This record gives sequence, structure tokens and C-alpha cells, in this order.
Amino acid sequence: MAYICLEDASVELAVYNARGRALKSELLRRTVGGGLQDARDNAVQVVKALSQVSFKANDGDRIGLVGGNGAGKSTLLRVLSRVYPPTSGRAIIEGRVSSLIDLSMGMDTDATGYDNIEMRGIMLGLNRKQAQALIPDIEEFSELGEFLSLPIRTYSSGMMLRLAFAVSTAVHPDILIIDEIIGAGDAAFAEKAQKRLHSLIEKASIMFLASHDNATIERLCTRTLWMKGGKLMMDGTPDVVLAAYKADSPDERLQA
Amino acid sequence: MGLVLRGAADVVGGFGVWRMWWMLAKNDVVRRYRRSRVGQLWLTLSMAALIFGMGAVYASLFGTSMADYLPHLGTSLVLWGLIASTITESCSGFTDNENIIRQISLPRFTYLLRTIARNIFVFAHNLIILPILYLLTNSPINWAALLFIPGLLIVIANIAWIGYILAIVSARFRDIPQIVASVIQIAFFISPVVFKPSQLRFDHPVLVLNPFASMLDVMREPLLGNLPSASSYLILLGLLIVGWGLTLAFAGKYSHRVVYWL
Repeated sequence: MAYICLEDASVELAVYNARGRALKSELLRRTVGGGLQDARDNAVQVVKALSQVSFKANDGDRIGLVGGNGAGKSTLLRVLSRVYPPTSGRAIIEGRVSSLIDLSMGMDTDATGYDNIEMRGIMLGLNRKQAQALIPDIEEFSELGEFLSLPIRTYSSGMMLRLAFAVSTAVHPDILIIDEIIGAGDAAFAEKAQKRLHSLIEKASIMFLASHDNATIERLCTRTLWMKGGKLMMDGTPDVVLAAYKADSPDERLQA
Repeated sequence: MGLVLRGAADVVGGFGVWRMWWMLAKNDVVRRYRRSRVGQLWLTLSMAALIFGMGAVYASLFGTSMADYLPHLGTSLVLWGLIASTITESCSGFTDNENIIRQISLPRFTYLLRTIARNIFVFAHNLIILPILYLLTNSPINWAALLFIPGLLIVIANIAWIGYILAIVSARFRDIPQIVASVIQIAFFISPVVFKPSQLRFDHPVLVLNPFASMLDVMREPLLGNLPSASSYLILLGLLIVGWGLTLAFAGKYSHRVVYWL
């Protein structure tokens, strides 16, 4: 069963400008010392994207993440998908994670739809046979028919999204990570996509959903984390946390 | 010691997800030539053109016959292609895989294995030229040729650690790939690719202090029917041990930070 435990997990991101990226300026900085340094030269800036976040999540948790832009939601999602190792503190994540952050990850536009399905399956940790076994389900869901044997550069952006969505949701992970619910394609397909997403959420042991749409959070989640400035402000049931979050942000858009 | 173990776990883990890098590397080669009619043969054709073109010029410059010079030049160029392109492409080992690294967590060495495997596939295509070249020039082949396999393995094992270090530092310092490209360019001219090592004194610094000379020696000489010198093996073995020791500690310390530099 999936289990997540974060203890004082922090992520400090170094943001480099062009000078901070160059070995030449790094060597100059080290050898010439402070004498030549310009006070305004911020070649490297450290941003604390996540600061001392602690919480536990167990089987059955449906967790919503709310917070303004730059509050650290995406950084937290990356920590949870094991992409960002915390720079201090600990993150224990047990279970197979799959994230729907970048649906088109690793897609090769010159390869056919079928090839892409197989490639993505392998990226999700399947073997060739298992990856090929995904094909019927994706064929049926994406409704792309014969287009699947064409290179995907010939697809319209809507078709591309259908395929990416179908492939990304074809494997059921223990821990599911979603950054905003994606509306894929036309109305009929969007409804189908919602259904598929819901069944994926149901089958996941733990789900995280970052969203700016409070109604979605209330509908899908049993627990909500409120992030602000990289800190975890509040952790509780959606109605309580969302009320506090709304009270904190006077912006009208959030009241809606 | 803890760092070395962490680095070693990453390398072992990289081999563990072989399906991933094997598929990516295969796809890299296929994609490069998918829309051309001659397909992967392009690799081989352009290498063959280079060998015969340079062969004609340098054989007359050095005043030897084509039959004597071509086997050396052809073998060296094919082998040099493997060494040089693996090292230069390793620099972008992480930066090219940014979208994957930022989405799923895999051992970092996976991406190096993708680069290495891709270059071995390309190398295998070029290797086809050599038997034809040997037939055309009547070059002798004997049992020494079997030594090519261990030679190739020890060279790749050395390139792998060089590539791993370069991939890490290139992710942090974006001017490293250009520096490496010029170093490799210079190395081409001071290594026995175009000229024969026998044209220099056997203890010339260019042959002894230049690890590329040893790499070429242990792979090329068996194919040309000669035995490589023992010192080449010793140099490569020493580099292998010291290099991997350093690399594992370096990777243990820095490889998990790579994602923050992309």
C-alpha cells in the first residue's frame, strides 16, 4: 500500500542567470575573489521553493493542493513524484508514482501513434509485452482509429492531446499526481476524459491534485493542503481549509 | 565511502532499467534517418567517403601506398568516431533529457547509457566498412583480432566515466560542451588517427601521456593483425580504476542535484 511521509522537507532552488551558468565566471569568482565583484551581480539566486513541509498521507487519501501562483504547489508535486529530492529534511514515498504534469513527455513526433504508445509504456516501467497490451484500450478510448499508424506529427493538436491523455492514463499507479484537471478536446471527448480520470483516481491509493478551481477540489478531495510562500499553512478537510484560504486571499476570482 | 556507494547504486540502477535506455537509443538512431531513403546506410556511406577522401590525400602526403595506409586510417577513423562522438554527446546527456528527468525519477546513469548505446549502434554501422576495406587492401587478419573485443570493452568502460562526469558538470556550467568539443578537436590531431604511431618514437609523450592513443591502440592493432602494447592496457586499466573511483564519489555527491540545474 502506498504511504507518504514528509519531514521538514525543504527545496532550495538556485536560479542562475547567464553568468552563473558559465564556468568562466565561476572560475573568476573563485580565483579573483571579492575584489572585482559587482554588488548588483546576482549570478546565483537561491529561492526557497518549499520550506519545512511535514505531513503524512495514507491509503485512501484524496488530497487537494491550493495556493496562489508561486506558492510551491508544483514544487511539492515534483517532490512527491520523486523528481526533486528535498535539499533538506526527508521525503519517504512508497508506491508507484505516476504524474500527469507533462502529458506529452517523451513523445516522438516522427514515430507513429502505435510506436509512441509502446515507448510511453516502457517509460512508465512496463516491458514490451505489457506496453503492447495497452494498445486496445488506448485505441478504443482515443478514437483515433487508423491515425494511430501515422506519424504523430500529422495529428492536429486536439488529436495529439487525446493520444497523450489516453497513454498517460492507461497505467494505474499507486500514487497519482495531477496538476490541474485537463479538459481534452471537444465536449463529448471532454466528458469521456473526465470519466476516465475519475476511474483512475478511484483506483489510485493516494491522489494529489493541485488546482485553482476550488469546486473541483471540493468535489474530488477528502483532504486539502494550503500552500503559501513555500510553507504548508493548513492541512484539513476541504471545506475548512478552503474557507480559510478564501478569507486569506481577497482576490475576487477566488471567491467564485 | 558513502558517496561512492550512492554513486554505485545509481550506476547499477541505470543498468537495471535497460529497457528504457535501449528503447530510447534505438529510437534515436531510427529517428535520425527515418525520413531518408538510404536510411541508416547514410552513416556508413559518409564514413566511407571520409576514409577514401582522406586516404587519397594523406597517403600521398606521407609518401606511402594506399594499400599500406588505408587500413590504418580507416580503422582509426571509425574507432575515433566512437570515442569522440560518445564523449561530446555525453555533455548533453542530462540537458537533452530534461523533459524526462523533470517528470519521472530514474537513475541518472540511465541517460548516459542512452548516449553510449546510441553511439555503439552508430559505430556498429560504421564497422561494416572495415571488412570491405581489409579485403580491398589485402590487409592481414589473424587471431589477434579477437583482442578487439576486450579492447572495445575497456575503452567504453573508460568513456563511460568520463561521460558521466562531463554530463554532470555540463548541466551546471553550460560552456563545458564547447570546451570539450575543442579539446576533442585538438585530440584528433595529436592522437595517432591520421598518422601512424610508428612514425613517432615509441616513448613520445603524444603516445604515452595521451590516453586517446592507448584507446586507439588496444582497439586498432588487433584488427590490423598486430598485438597492442602492454603499456596501453596498463594505462587504460589504471585510468579505469582511478576514474571510476572519482566518478562514483562525484556522482554520489552531485548527481541528485542535476534536476535542479536543468
